[in-house]
Amino acid sequence: MNESLLEILCCPLDKDDLELEDAEYDDDEIISGSLVCTGCGESYPIEDGIPNLLPPDMREQSPA
Amino acid sequence: MGKDLAERRGLETDVYQPAEDSQLLADAACDRLETEDLVLEVGTGSGYVADRIATEVGARVVAADVNPYATRNARDRGLEAVQADLVSPFRADTFDAVAFNPPYLPTDPDHEWDDWMERALSGGEDGRAVIDPFLETVSRVLAPGGVVLLLVSSLTGVDAVVERAGEEGFSAVAVADESFPFETLTVLELVR
Repeated sequence: MNESLLEILCCPLDKDDLELEDAEYDDDEIISGSLVCTGCGESYPIEDGIPNLLPPDMREQSPA
Repeated sequence: MGKDLAERRGLETDVYQPAEDSQLLADAACDRLETEDLVLEVGTGSGYVADRIATEVGARVVAADVNPYATRNARDRGLEAVQADLVSPFRADTFDAVAFNPPYLPTDPDHEWDDWMERALSGGEDGRAVIDPFLETVSRVLAPGGVVLLLVSSLTGVDAVVERAGEEGFSAVAVADESFPFETLTVLELVR
């Protein structure tokens, strides 16, 4: 993901801003890291360049 | 669309592939959107609609889906992809347009499969199990003057969707439609 995406993303639960942590870059693109809510502290993973901003209870219930 | 879910099931199991409904939505979006628009596609699936908007209109498009295989497809097309439940992780007052080809087929609860293709097609018993929560939440992320482009099928009931949108403060105009043997597809433009 591009860093500019942070400007349009928020925590899916409380809509607070997200802070980028432990970012690894490939050129300008963030390949992995975490997006941490500045309000509730929930952490959302970035994997293979794609942020997973599903609410925590939906991360677990994906079909096989 | 318009086929029985069971027929479609053999074709593809992880990501909904572009069909007539995708093309109709992409055509309508490309006609109406402008280069400077910031666009969100909810339920991007293969990324086809988002890709056409990005390529033909030149707008910045964010491609969102609940399905990780779909977001991977979208990213492989060079799109900005986000794994998301509808519009929940997007900031308020952000998008000039939100496009959505939702799961809309009315489905008998006894005949649903718990896999990604079922999630992409089934709209629950009334066909609106995903459309209704979308209509309840999409307003928050629209920029002033922002529009929603929503694909609806006669199988789901266009009037029922228009009425539901009205309850959420939207007025709806049909901007494209196309008839098939088993259904008519309509693209609704919703404005506040």
